[in-house]
Amino acid sequence: MTTREEFMARIRAEMGKTRGLFPATPATRPEYPREEAEAIRAQLAERWPEALERFRREFEKVGGVFHRVPTLTEVPEVVTGIARAREARRLVSWHPSQLGADLGQALAARGLTPLPMPPGEATNPTERARLRQLVASAELGLTGVDLAIAETGTLVLRSGAGRPRSTSLLPAYHIAVFDRTALVESLAQVGVFLELWHADGATEDRGAVISFITGPSRTADIELTLTRGVHGPKEVHVIFVEREIRG
Amino acid sequence: MSQADLSVPFRQRAGSAMKDAFLQEALTIATTKFIGLRREAFGDFPEGEKLRDVAREIKEATLQHLDRYLEQLIDNVERLGGKVHFASTAAEARGVILEIARQAGARMAVKSKSMATEEIHLNEALEQAGITPVETDLGEYIIQLAHERPSHIIAPAIHKTKGQVADLFSKELRRTVAADPEVLTKIARGELREKFLQADLGITGANFAIADTGTIVLVTNEGNGRMVTSLPRVHVAVMGVEKVVPSMTDLMVFLAILAKSATGQKLSVYTTLVQGPRRAGELEGPEEFHLVVLDNGRVDQLAGPLREALDCLRCGACLNVCPVYRQIGGHAYGHTYPGPIGILLTAMLSGPASVKELAHASSLCGACAEACPVRIDIPRMLIELRREVDETKIAPRTERAVFKAFGRLLTRPVLYRLAARIARLLQRPFVRDGAIRSLPLFFGDWTRTRDLPAVAPRTFHERWKELAREAPP
Repeated sequence: MTTREEFMARIRAEMGKTRGLFPATPATRPEYPREEAEAIRAQLAERWPEALERFRREFEKVGGVFHRVPTLTEVPEVVTGIARAREARRLVSWHPSQLGADLGQALAARGLTPLPMPPGEATNPTERARLRQLVASAELGLTGVDLAIAETGTLVLRSGAGRPRSTSLLPAYHIAVFDRTALVESLAQVGVFLELWHADGATEDRGAVISFITGPSRTADIELTLTRGVHGPKEVHVIFVEREIRG
Repeated sequence: MSQADLSVPFRQRAGSAMKDAFLQEALTIATTKFIGLRREAFGDFPEGEKLRDVAREIKEATLQHLDRYLEQLIDNVERLGGKVHFASTAAEARGVILEIARQAGARMAVKSKSMATEEIHLNEALEQAGITPVETDLGEYIIQLAHERPSHIIAPAIHKTKGQVADLFSKELRRTVAADPEVLTKIARGELREKFLQADLGITGANFAIADTGTIVLVTNEGNGRMVTSLPRVHVAVMGVEKVVPSMTDLMVFLAILAKSATGQKLSVYTTLVQGPRRAGELEGPEEFHLVVLDNGRVDQLAGPLREALDCLRCGACLNVCPVYRQIGGHAYGHTYPGPIGILLTAMLSGPASVKELAHASSLCGACAEACPVRIDIPRMLIELRREVDETKIAPRTERAVFKAFGRLLTRPVLYRLAARIARLLQRPFVRDGAIRSLPLFFGDWTRTRDLPAVAPRTFHERWKELAREAPP
């Protein structure tokens, strides 16, 4: 068994033999990520319509379906529309505290079957197994969005309490709800937010996973034929809400 | 021949591949498509060229302080509740993973695509230990059913027809299935979904590992990487020691060019950033997270001739543009990593003697270096490998003699000019339309598949002299 000390000693010994290296530095990190993130938000408060338009274009290019509504009140109608056209009923959702709204009743009233999920972790292994089967049986997964990247049409979702990883993964149809505060323009801007989330151990109140989702699950492994929904969702919908969700 | 047999000489393996009509068609279609998609992606992305330089510099900066970044990564993974293991060799890596699997009481392991686990031949070891490995990337699943190895870094089953895939599935499931990619994909989804939900152990590679945050990054299109890191009770990630990058900011630079180089996508569908085991409050996620840091010949190259190959992102772009890969495909190379970069990685993992034939399986045209997102000078290292192979007297005696003589000629101007005149006389019977079409004896190998340009009626030297006479300075 190689120990950490032995392994590192080997590396240092080899590093000591290198010569003639050109000077190189890693990418320049934001010195004050909080301030830079705020600056990005401030800029986007002005130019979000352009960012949204670019997001829509890129998102549609990767096979996403874009919806737009004035307020949260209209969201259940859109969700129900998607569900009906696909004969889907069973829905899992992020917890209302994480989604920014409790849509359960409105969805149930329209004929869907929202499956109750806990606000945090399962209390015991049996309960965890039961909840897993429940999510696996769902056809629709409803989530929020932490960042929507205009450059690539990508959704960034952080896992955590009330934000199960599986909601955007196991159901065949993923529906994500967001407003303009989630919009960013570029991957470089995402870097600032990632740095911010990790500064001062601030992520510890969130889950262990950050997922970048760029369209529905896809493969081209058989004769390069593009096929959707191989493991993850076969459709990804976003619903853009014009009035800020947490206004 | 779909699986390379290393007892057969490379020339013969390549020959068989070139006679395989389906393989030829599949290779042409796939590599041409990938080239087009990559070109389009960078065409729409003017800042790409600059970012490629930045990415290369980040890789170089990381290697220059590899000890520091690795220590940082290890500390952070441990702080987050993960356990870090160190493997100097492939055998040691297998041992570590088997021990983790045993302690977890695992009977089945779901895997997302990982070249590192291919490299250490993990699946055979798991099987021997009574643990069923299940490859969940569709391409990898197909070749696992066929008992083969990947033929392309990012499109492992590129060499299979849908008919062959349907046959494999029919045999596995004991029922007839249609040769339709849509149908086959749906079947794989159903089969593998059950396994994701049952498996105790999830095994992944790592595209990147971020020192500053202790994050492992997985890039996939299918979503299997997310399944494998979320559903099983134990997650093991295997990473080559060179995969570490300093910060999240650096990661974004690589993400901006990786998928564009591989498949022409702006980003792959899923980029998954995993930081240790499940946290309090989370419904899913592994109870245990293990990171296996793998040397297996890499560390030797920190100061070695193949150092630059440690910058490789495993995007496969150099395979698609390589005139040799495009003719023979991945299996003929006979090792885990095919293509131009594969020759270098094979030499890194198994020593230069393992590539004495492969070092010559390149036209040195430079297309690989041009396509490489981090601009690895692959031809330069291939030439160095050839020299090393030559110095160790692996090349045939006649070949060495001919090149030695040619070298003498080139460094002696009088002899060189004389030789040109003699060659002009000797070539006469063989020249047609300004080129030598065929040569006798063993020189015939040169002209069997290409023409040799004839020595010019007047050489550049002779013309230069005339010009100097006509127009004195």
